[in-house]
Amino acid sequence: MNGYTGKIVRINLTNKKISTIATKDYEQWGGGHGIGSAIFWDLVKDKAISGFDPANVITIMTSPLTGTLAPAGAGRTEVQGIGVQSYPVEWFTRSNLGGRFGAMLKFAGWDGIVIEGRADNPVWIDIRDDNVQIVNAANLWGKDTWQTQEEIWREVRAGGQYEKRTNQKPAVLAIGPSGERLSRIAALIHDAGNAAGQGGFGGVWGSKNLKAVSVMGTGNIKIADPAGLMEARLWAKKHYEKDIQNPERVGKNPDDINGFGGRGPILFWKLPKQSRIQACFGCHSGCRARYGSGKGNESSCMETLVYSTFDAKRHAGIGLRTLSSMFKLFGQKIASEGIYMFMGKQTDASYTATDLLQQYGINAFELGVGLLYLRDLYKKGALGPGKSIACDLPFEKIGELEFIEKLIKMIAYREGIGNDIAEGFVRASKKWGRLDEDLATGMLQFPHWGLPNHYDPRTEVEWGYGTIMGDRDINEHDFNLLFWMPSAAKWMGDRPSVSAEEITEIFSEKMKPYEDDRSMLDFSTGNIYSRSMAKLVAWHRHYTRFWKQSILYCDFRFPDFYNPNTPGKRGLTGEGEQKFFNAVTGKNISFVDGMEIGRKIWNLDNAIWTMQGRHRNMVNFADYVYKVPSLGFNNVFPYYMPGKENGKWEYIQLDGRCIDRNKFEEWKTEFYKLEGWDTETGWPTRNTLESIGLGYVADELDKKGKLGRA
Amino acid sequence: MQQLQKIDQGKGYEEISRRGFLKVAGTVVIYIGVGGCPTFDKSSGKFIRSEDLEPNVVASKGYLLVDTKKCQGCVSCMLSCSLVHEGVENLSFSRIQVMQNPFEKYPEDITVGQCRQCISPACVEACPTGALHISKKHGNIRMIDASKCSGCRSCIAACPYEPVRLSFDYEKEHALKCDMCMNAPFWKEQGGVKGKQACVSVCPMGAIMFTGQIPIQKGNMGYEVNLRGKAWEKMGFPTD
Repeated sequence: MNGYTGKIVRINLTNKKISTIATKDYEQWGGGHGIGSAIFWDLVKDKAISGFDPANVITIMTSPLTGTLAPAGAGRTEVQGIGVQSYPVEWFTRSNLGGRFGAMLKFAGWDGIVIEGRADNPVWIDIRDDNVQIVNAANLWGKDTWQTQEEIWREVRAGGQYEKRTNQKPAVLAIGPSGERLSRIAALIHDAGNAAGQGGFGGVWGSKNLKAVSVMGTGNIKIADPAGLMEARLWAKKHYEKDIQNPERVGKNPDDINGFGGRGPILFWKLPKQSRIQACFGCHSGCRARYGSGKGNESSCMETLVYSTFDAKRHAGIGLRTLSSMFKLFGQKIASEGIYMFMGKQTDASYTATDLLQQYGINAFELGVGLLYLRDLYKKGALGPGKSIACDLPFEKIGELEFIEKLIKMIAYREGIGNDIAEGFVRASKKWGRLDEDLATGMLQFPHWGLPNHYDPRTEVEWGYGTIMGDRDINEHDFNLLFWMPSAAKWMGDRPSVSAEEITEIFSEKMKPYEDDRSMLDFSTGNIYSRSMAKLVAWHRHYTRFWKQSILYCDFRFPDFYNPNTPGKRGLTGEGEQKFFNAVTGKNISFVDGMEIGRKIWNLDNAIWTMQGRHRNMVNFADYVYKVPSLGFNNVFPYYMPGKENGKWEYIQLDGRCIDRNKFEEWKTEFYKLEGWDTETGWPTRNTLESIGLGYVADELDKKGKLGRA
Repeated sequence: MQQLQKIDQGKGYEEISRRGFLKVAGTVVIYIGVGGCPTFDKSSGKFIRSEDLEPNVVASKGYLLVDTKKCQGCVSCMLSCSLVHEGVENLSFSRIQVMQNPFEKYPEDITVGQCRQCISPACVEACPTGALHISKKHGNIRMIDASKCSGCRSCIAACPYEPVRLSFDYEKEHALKCDMCMNAPFWKEQGGVKGKQACVSVCPMGAIMFTGQIPIQKGNMGYEVNLRGKAWEKMGFPTD
C-alpha cells in the first residue's frame, strides 16, 4: 500500500494478546478519526459503558500522510475512545497531538494502535518495528511524563540494537501522576510539549494501568508518486509559504501567524531572545519554540496562556498598576486589562507553570479556564481557608510560581480540593453545591458538555454550535480568523487588513460543496439561527472530520482560505488537500470526495453518541449562554465578526449578545433536517445511513430502538 | 589554489589563502583536537597537514552549510533527501541527519550532521571496490556508485564523525551517501554542484545553504554558518 503501512496493531491488556488488523478493511475511512470511529463501532458492543470500563477501546491513528513530506500534514496523530471529561455524558470523543509520535509509528510499520482491556499492574507498550511487547512499568509508575520518556529512551537504546540503524530517539506518549490517579482532566504527553489534552485520556490510560506507549521505527513509508510529492511540496512553498528571509513580510498580525502562510510561534508569553522556532514532524512553519533556559520547550497557544497573565499582572510595577487603574477609572476596560497582557513584567513562573502541566500531565484548557473560576470563588469569599470550600492555596500569591506549583500538585495527587478538581471543574462545582448557580451567572465559563469555554458561543456561533452538536470543544480554528483579524485590528485602533466583503468572498469560494452560499458567514443576530448557519456548521464538521482529523492536516495551518502571500490572497484549500493525499496514496480523490467521507464519519459519530444515549433534549448550552450577554473576548475585549448590516457586509460587534433559547431549538431542527437526522430525537435515520453505506449501523441502532424516523 | 572562505551573513566574506590557513594552523590544532577535521587520519592518530596531501586529491566543488541555530527540527530535509533518492520515506535513508532532544536547552537541543565532502575522504580511502569515489565528472563530489557497492560498510567504519555521515540500506545492502543530489531519480530538478539540492530547496527556514568554496571547520558536526538576518531579528530571534 502507498502511504499506509497496511497494518494496525491491536493490544489487549487483559489477556496480553497482540494481533493485527488489516488497514485495508478500514481504508475507505481515510485514516485517523474515520478509521478510529469505524474500529470503535466494530469492537465495542456496549457503547454505553463508562470511559473507565476496561472494555473501552482507545485508538491511536495516523494517516497515509503521516511521516511524509506533506506540509503540516505529517506530524499529527488522532486519539479516540470514550472520554471521561465531558459532563453529564462521557461522550465518545477525540483528541489529537503533534510532534513525531505518529511518524515514528509509521516507520515502525503500523498505521495505528488499538488498545483494549486493562492490565493487572502498571505496564508500558514497547514497539520496535515489527516487535510489540507489553512490559512491566513498575520502574516508571509515579514518574512525571518527562522522566518517563527519558527513562524509556535509555532502555530502548541500551544494548546497541539501534546504534547503527537510526539516530532517532523512541517517540513516547505517556501519562503523568495525574493520569495514574484517574483524573478526568489528565492528558497524554509526548516529548516536551505535545499533548492529547482533551477527553481525559490520561485518566483512561491510568484506569488501564497503561503508563506509556513507546515507538521506535526504522522502516520505509511507500509513496505512490515520489517526484509528484516533492513537486507538490515545492509548489506549496513557492506559492503559499511566507518567505522567511524577507523582513518586509514578517509581521505580528493574526494573518501573519495563522494559516498555511503564517510564520512564527503562537505564544502568549514573552519570547526570550535565546530561542528558536521548533516544528512538528515535516511541518513547514513551526508554531512553537525551544529556549535557552530549556523552560517552556514546545508548548504553544493556550498552554502558554494558563499562567502568563497572572504572572505578568503580579509582577507589574507600580507605574503600570497606576496606569491600569487610571484606565479603569475612565471606563477604559480594554486598555486597563490590555496593558498587563502586553506590558506586564512576566517572569519564569509562566514557563515553569506550563512545564509542570506537561510533566504532571494535566489538560491546559481545563486548568486555564478553571483557574479563573477558582480566583473568582476566592474573591467572592466562597473558597479559602475556613470558607465553605475549604482550601489553603495561597491566593494572595497568585502569579507566583509557588501558587501554581501547589495547585498543580494538589490536582495531580488528588489532595484537598485537588481531589475535586481532578474530576474537572464542573463536577467539582457540583460537589461544592454551586453548579447550577455558577453556570447560570457564567462565573463558571464551561458552556457546553461540562467543558471549558474556548471561543464564546454567544458571539462566534460556529464554534459553540459545532461543540454542542458534537462531543467536545471543537478546537477547530477554521473560521476563527474572521474574529481575530478585525478584532485585533480594531483593538489597536487600526483598520482590518481585509474588508468583511472581501474576506467572506474569499472564504465562501472555497467552501465546496456549499460554495455559493455566502450567507453562511453572516454572524449577525438575524442570521445565526438560519439554515445557512446550519450549512456552515455542517461544512465545518465534514471538513474537519476528514481532512483534519482523518488525513490529519494540522488545525493551525489548514484550511488555507485566505493567504496574504498570494497575489489574489486565496490560499491552497480546495487544491492542496487532495494534491498531497493523491501523490502519496496514488488515489485520485477530489476535495469534495473528501467532504463526503467527512460527512459519513460525522454520521457514524452521531450513531455512536446515539448508542451512548444522546437525545436532542440534552443538546443545550449552560444557562448563562442564554441569559447573560457576552462581555466579549476574555470578558473584556469587543468581539467582531463579519455579518450583513443593512444589506452591506460589515464587521459587526457581537458582544452584548446571548443565544435565544427558542430560536436555538429551531436552529437545531434546521441542522437535523440538513444532516438527514430525525428532528425529534437528533438520531440518524435509515435513509441517510443507507445512502452513505452505513446500513449496518442503522441495523444496530434499530435493534436498540434508537433509529431515527425519517 | 584552494581558497578557504569564512561565510557569515552578518560579516560578509573573508578570504584566507591556504598559506594564511597554515599560519594559524598552530593555534587551530587544539581546536581540531576537540572535534574532528577532514585531514585527521583516524587509524594512525596523526594529523595530516594540507601540504602533505596527495597532489591528486582534489577538493569537492560543493558543500552543505547548515545554520543549526535557525533549524526548526522539522526534518523536512531528511524527508526530501530520502524521497528524491530512494522514492520512499525513511529517516535512516537520509544523507543529512537531524537529531533533537526536546528537553534540552537551545541551541544544544538540535544537532545536524551532514556529509562534509572531506578534502581527504576516509570513506573513499576505505572503499575496497571503488564504489565510493571522487567523481571528477561531477565536481569532485564524493559519491557512491551503487552498482559497485558490496555492502561491506568499510566506508561507514572509516567516517571519523559522530554520527557517521553515511547511511545504509539494510534491504538492498548498500551504503548511501550525500551526492549533492547528483543522482536524485525522484526529482525533476537537475542536481549536483551546478544544480539544486533537495534539502536546500525544501528547508522552510532557509537554514541550509550550498557553497562551492571549502568551508571553515568547526568541531565535530557539520560546517557552521550564520544564515540569520534582518527578518529573523524582526521575529525576535537571536542573530548571534
